[in-house]
Amino acid sequence: MLLVLAPVTGAAVDLSEVPDPVFAQSMVGPGVAIRPLGEAQEAVAPVHGTVVKLHAHAFVVVDPEGRGVLVHLGIDTVKLGGDGFAKLAAEGEHVAAGTPLVRWDPARVEAKGLSSIVPVVALDADGAAISPTTAAEVAQGDRLFDWA
Amino acid sequence: MPERRITVESEVGLHARPAALFVEAASKAEGNVTVAKGGGAPVSAKSILAVMGLDVRNGDEIVISADGDGAEELLDTLAGIANA
Repeated sequence: MLLVLAPVTGAAVDLSEVPDPVFAQSMVGPGVAIRPLGEAQEAVAPVHGTVVKLHAHAFVVVDPEGRGVLVHLGIDTVKLGGDGFAKLAAEGEHVAAGTPLVRWDPARVEAKGLSSIVPVVALDADGAAISPTTAAEVAQGDRLFDWA
Repeated sequence: MPERRITVESEVGLHARPAALFVEAASKAEGNVTVAKGGGAPVSAKSILAVMGLDVRNGDEIVISADGDGAEELLDTLAGIANA
């Protein structure tokens, strides 16, 4: 079983609350979303493994068994072209769970009229394999969901 | 195996929304469906992780291949998503 940690601090909510059908309908995969605190912060690796993709606004970490977790920092944030985001690691790096990967400011995302909600998604996973936290609030590094 | 070689016109390439739509369409096929970037090795078009890992961007050339019944129609659908 893989323990997936909260990459940011905030309110844990159902993926269906994400204002993007691709995430809300779990088309990318099952998971949990976090409404982040609106202050500048770091987003950390949710699992240990390899950073296979590191964009300013999103990253994927794949564990040694090949399970990939996508963290998307806000919705449609690719449009910001990296403005307000700073990468703290590099693609291909092996990281421990909890390693800071991107520094960003959710309030700045919201100020541009975009949602700062953070979907955390188990890629290619079956929905039944995910056991989400029952906590309403999670701190960075807390358990967010288990991936069986 | 039937294939399509296309230049991706999707503004964000095959990421997030187009990637999810692409994989959802490919996953409905019975047979093998692969996608490769440029001259690279093909990966399963049914895996969101594999497709995102290709890092296909606007203007990249990809080759989509499929076998089995309905392969031509599927390739048309996939090419449409990559260019939406």
